[in-house]
Amino acid sequence: MQPRIIQLAGLGFTIAYAALIVWIYATEPRTFKEVTTGVEVAAGTYEVNQEKFNSALNFFRHEQFRAARVEWQQADPAQRDARTQFYIAYSFYREGWGRIYFDQELFKQGVEAVNRAIALSSTNTLTIDDPDLQMHTAAELKAELEQGLERNWSDVNPLKVLRTRK
Amino acid sequence: MPQTNRSRNRVLVDFVVLPFIFLTVALLGGLRIGAENGAFIFIAPPLVTLLLATLLMLLLVRGGLLKLHHWVGSDFPPLTNVAHVWMFITIFFASAQAFNTVLPERGLLHWLFSFFFLWTLWNNQFSSFDARRLLRSLTVLFGTAFVLKHMLLASLYSPEGGWLKRMAGTLLQGVALGTLDTPTFAASTGYIAFFTLALYVAGLILLAFSVNDDTIVVTDHQLLED
Repeated sequence: MQPRIIQLAGLGFTIAYAALIVWIYATEPRTFKEVTTGVEVAAGTYEVNQEKFNSALNFFRHEQFRAARVEWQQADPAQRDARTQFYIAYSFYREGWGRIYFDQELFKQGVEAVNRAIALSSTNTLTIDDPDLQMHTAAELKAELEQGLERNWSDVNPLKVLRTRK
Repeated sequence: MPQTNRSRNRVLVDFVVLPFIFLTVALLGGLRIGAENGAFIFIAPPLVTLLLATLLMLLLVRGGLLKLHHWVGSDFPPLTNVAHVWMFITIFFASAQAFNTVLPERGLLHWLFSFFFLWTLWNNQFSSFDARRLLRSLTVLFGTAFVLKHMLLASLYSPEGGWLKRMAGTLLQGVALGTLDTPTFAASTGYIAFFTLALYVAGLILLAFSVNDDTIVVTDHQLLED
């Protein structure tokens, strides 16, 4: 092999290795699993675990929201799938919704998840075609969650108990 | 033919092996393993380690381990210059991370260790060194710091209570060690640090061979010219 080729290959290989090191220090993965997931994301080969996703959806439809979130988090450990993040946000909404009051902590986490979903979707109108849901876009869900976090005089309206969960 | 192989091997060491070794040191130098859950903790090099690495680079130049005029110059092809500058960069970050490995992460001990490193490197700037002496001196410097941090201090702050903690407890009854606060890591951190420092010193030894080889080539040329 020509020395010039070795020089070029060595330079290319070590620069790629240095970039990997910088990426590791920037993202601070805590386990080997996180490292491999991150590399998959960077290489564009990352995919959601469909089996876990379906299992989570099943829990969600049976109103077992916490169990659903655990499964979704395992299905999308890198939080890179807009659809999964949308469902996670929806589960926070449904669990936090109450006739008398909304659970502020759950709604805040819901807003964070829906913001992730919006950021991840290539177009800004993320739409989920699921007949079990009454809100199909991330924008609708975000508005509903943010409205739940606002404090105003309508909170003391007794007719509030008649509202329905979406 | 042996001359061709020699030159190929030389290129392989200079442009692949050495940068790879020094980059691995840069990767592992800031790695700690959490004591509670065994999670990776990556600690970026503190500012003081960059200062220490700068002083060490100057020392490497003075000691003849880095011969800038032999490796970078207007007579060389641009790719060779770029590759050599890249190697210097990897040595710099490996040096910073080697210091990061043996410096306590925070507290008074971090500053005490930093001060002693600065003192030693600054003093060494005014001593006469050759590559061999410098290598020995650096091995002793990093070896001592490794023993102090990963054996003595790790034992002192071990949650299970190491031998030194029991001894210190007996000797310093009633004296608080709060000001010497330092985080505790899993035992594997010490093994990683040992491997990192061994790799760093091995890289410097390989660099010294590479430099000596360079000198031989130059001498041959001179002999031919004579």
